[in-house]
Amino acid sequence: MIATYHPAPVLRVEQVSLTLGGNVILRDVSCMIRDIVGRGQVVGLLGPSGIGKTQFFRILAGLQQPNTGRVLLNAAGTPVRVGEVGVVMQHYPLFADRTVLQNCMDAGRRAGMDRAAAATRATELLTKLAVADRAEYYPALLSGGQRQRVAIAQQLMCSQYFLLMDEPFSGLDPEAVDTVCELIHDIAGMHELNTIVVVTHDIRAAMKVADELWLMGLDRAADGAFVPGARVQTTYDLVARNLAWAPDVSRRPEFDALYHEVRERFRTLKPKPIT
Amino acid sequence: MQLLRAAFSPNRTLSARVMFLFAIAWAVSGCLIWIASPFAVLPGPGAVLRAFGYLWMHQGMSRELWASFSLSVQAVAIAFGCSLLIAYATVLPIFRPFTAVVSKLRFLGLIGISFVFMLIVGGGRWLQVSLVAFGITVFLGTSLITIVQSIPSDRFDYARTLRMGEWRVVWEVVVRGTRDQALSALRESAAIGWVMITMVEGIVRSEGGIGVLLLNENKYSHFDRIFAIQISIFLVGIAQDYGLGLLRRWLCPYADLTTERRGA
Repeated sequence: MIATYHPAPVLRVEQVSLTLGGNVILRDVSCMIRDIVGRGQVVGLLGPSGIGKTQFFRILAGLQQPNTGRVLLNAAGTPVRVGEVGVVMQHYPLFADRTVLQNCMDAGRRAGMDRAAAATRATELLTKLAVADRAEYYPALLSGGQRQRVAIAQQLMCSQYFLLMDEPFSGLDPEAVDTVCELIHDIAGMHELNTIVVVTHDIRAAMKVADELWLMGLDRAADGAFVPGARVQTTYDLVARNLAWAPDVSRRPEFDALYHEVRERFRTLKPKPIT
Repeated sequence: MQLLRAAFSPNRTLSARVMFLFAIAWAVSGCLIWIASPFAVLPGPGAVLRAFGYLWMHQGMSRELWASFSLSVQAVAIAFGCSLLIAYATVLPIFRPFTAVVSKLRFLGLIGISFVFMLIVGGGRWLQVSLVAFGITVFLGTSLITIVQSIPSDRFDYARTLRMGEWRVVWEVVVRGTRDQALSALRESAAIGWVMITMVEGIVRSEGGIGVLLLNENKYSHFDRIFAIQISIFLVGIAQDYGLGLLRRWLCPYADLTTERRGA
């Protein structure tokens, strides 16, 4: 399958560096998400534990200011501000004192919708995400999957096109992982500008859902020692490899071959823990 | 038999009707133990009931009870307001050293500082109110500060991702987000405040109250009347606690939806 791209990227990360408490977390991270014609974009952000994915995620969301560099959104290249990028956190926080519908409507109101428009849009999104029948429930009464869908709906109410998802496959059985992959595909398909970044440890799931993979890790110096500060070391264009957007993609031998390639690369990105 | 087995099985949840029957059984057992008590000094239920009638008819017990209860409500309301302000003030760095000091004031003895309050507010009713309010605030304030400080940082980030400014984040996460826990803490503190009343009324006797009545009867060792007063204090305390429990359920219907044993 061949993809065509709009000339301007939807998201650009330029020379982002972050040092916290004297520790270099990120060093000159640069990458971009291209705007695919006719469908949304999904990027899988992979990397070993503790490499700095969470901090990078926070920078992408505008929750953390980098020491240097910037994150630019849309073709116009506007610097990211908190609230412009939807963030679906790992445990799917929602306001416990409001029903599902109220949670979504309040997010819409924050984005400037009037009450009627917020109600219409919230109902529409909840219907698309198959949780409309839970609209009057309090979050405490939702299952994990329902909670995830409501959290996504709430963030879509507020942020429109950009969505960051932190470990959406964490603790799920293989069938549930497939369901979440389908959900992400569906969201990407809702609008051409929809752009989803999935942060995960699950290489297979990321490959199933993404059209591009970013692999974060540490550089090595000439003597082989690791250099502090993670960067996006490798990107894998799954569209070019014909491994994107097909429902049975994970059954193909090329999928397995790439999985092993990514896994091997994964192991070289961080010092092994001392046991 | 099955019911008995269930009653002694850990973490079992039984129906409200069965739990009510268990409560009745415990109450009846307590009464039987009381009636059959071998301690001569312990007045029987009949004597306590007669003492209750005497106190009610001749000692103005209803008036004293009302005086104490209204004092308690007034002090708890003031303490709750002050404690909330102290706890919410911790969102501003400038107030954190102050709130830290306030929470340490709980190690001060109430009797020892009563003269300070006397100098500030004079005597009488306001001295009683200020002493009880102070006694509650230092504990309730500490509980509320702990509640606010234990909010995970991702709750703040979550609110920010919904385009909320920092004051709105404070309102949603700190104020609205902890109101069920604040009401639970209030319930505990109101109970402490209610039992503190007798002590404070003992310090400031001029305004009367159930504490003064208790001390007077204590002086003459009228055990039946002392028991009648204690039971009254106990029952009013239970009613107050139940009322605050209902208030919490009404204001925060979402709070206990996933707990296994929903409290009264």
